[in-house]
Amino acid sequence: MADGILFEERGIPAAAVITDAFRRTADAMARAQGLEGYPYVAIPHPISSLSPEELRARAEQALPEVVRLLQEEGAR
Amino acid sequence: MSRGLRTEPTREAAREAREAIEYCYEQGWTDGLPVVPPAEEFVEEFLEQVDRDPEEVVFDQPHLGRKCTVRLAAANAVMAGCRPEHFPVVLAMLEAVRDLPVSRGLFQSTTGQAVLVVVNGPVRQVLGFNSTDNVFSPGNRSNATVGRALRLVVMNAFGIRPHAFDQSTQGTPAKYSFCIAENEEESPWEPLHVERGFAGQESTVTVAWARGTMPVEQRDSKHPEHILLNIADSMSYGGGYFPSPRGHGSIVVMGPEHAQLIAQAGWSKQQVREFLWEHFGRRAGELRRLAKEGGLDPQLPDEAFVRFAHAPEAITLIVAGARNAGVSTVCPTFVWQTVTRRIPIRRT
Repeated sequence: MADGILFEERGIPAAAVITDAFRRTADAMARAQGLEGYPYVAIPHPISSLSPEELRARAEQALPEVVRLLQEEGAR
Repeated sequence: MSRGLRTEPTREAAREAREAIEYCYEQGWTDGLPVVPPAEEFVEEFLEQVDRDPEEVVFDQPHLGRKCTVRLAAANAVMAGCRPEHFPVVLAMLEAVRDLPVSRGLFQSTTGQAVLVVVNGPVRQVLGFNSTDNVFSPGNRSNATVGRALRLVVMNAFGIRPHAFDQSTQGTPAKYSFCIAENEEESPWEPLHVERGFAGQESTVTVAWARGTMPVEQRDSKHPEHILLNIADSMSYGGGYFPSPRGHGSIVVMGPEHAQLIAQAGWSKQQVREFLWEHFGRRAGELRRLAKEGGLDPQLPDEAFVRFAHAPEAITLIVAGARNAGVSTVCPTFVWQTVTRRIPIRRT
């Protein structure tokens, strides 16, 4: 989250991706960075035990949302 | 020391104290246990113990936009229940933690790290730190409050609390407080701070990331190999292992009985560390059975021994506890580096 926000502040489009177990921390980080409500993509948890094929499927599911966030005119 | 005789508080004073404690709970300043209300005059007493600018930043978390100044450190040491005389130890501890690898990030880890704090030198006697029986247990003010001060700084100065920035999946009770002193008097070897180049008459604080404590029993043999193989086996449990980019290490808090038996057989501290390192690991086949073979060469035969640490220096060896049983403790860690700092003690 912090990385995504720092990229945006430098004018580089970014899309933060988290797993849904980290929503609370993601929201807290957005508030700490002064950007409450900064949008992100939340994919289902867990991912670390997935096979490479399963992980690829998760990425493909998330892709349209990632592209949409990248195309948005920043978060502010 | 400013420890004077206390008189029993009046009923009114006790009621006011409780209200002040409840106020601290409402502000979200506690670890769940009551804290001493950090009145400005108390904080000033702590600041008088050190020659430091109160606004100097001791330790920060830039990614969170948070800083701990000397004054904030003092306020949290007050809340932790420290005496003013403890403050130089708390400050040295915070600076040592700042200098650990990943000190801007690991406090938020799902792994739920605690920080083990080890006190060496004359300050142990001056402030009454416990280095003997129950060294990890409740019951000693210095151990309990100095260790607790770190957690309160993390929670209050940095805002790293449960349900927000502290993402520990389970954490450990060692996060309340995890401070011990080395039993230099009953150790057969040079103390930790002397090993690291400090004079025996200097006082130091050493810090290490650690995931908790694991007890090691061996009361039935006096042979160094038997004792050390039990310790190495406990260092090498499967659940503690994963291929860590930072390199596994282990903090071995050896009980004086084990240490003395090993030293009587002629072993130096360095020989102990080397033996433990050689046996710190698992066979490739066992790692495969546990699905922990990530990073292993697939050609490696099942019988090959995989060492978990890069060198003997990844093992920190301390002697603490009572000389009353063949018991030691292993504190697992996947960040092997530790930091030792001198505690500037004023001569009064």
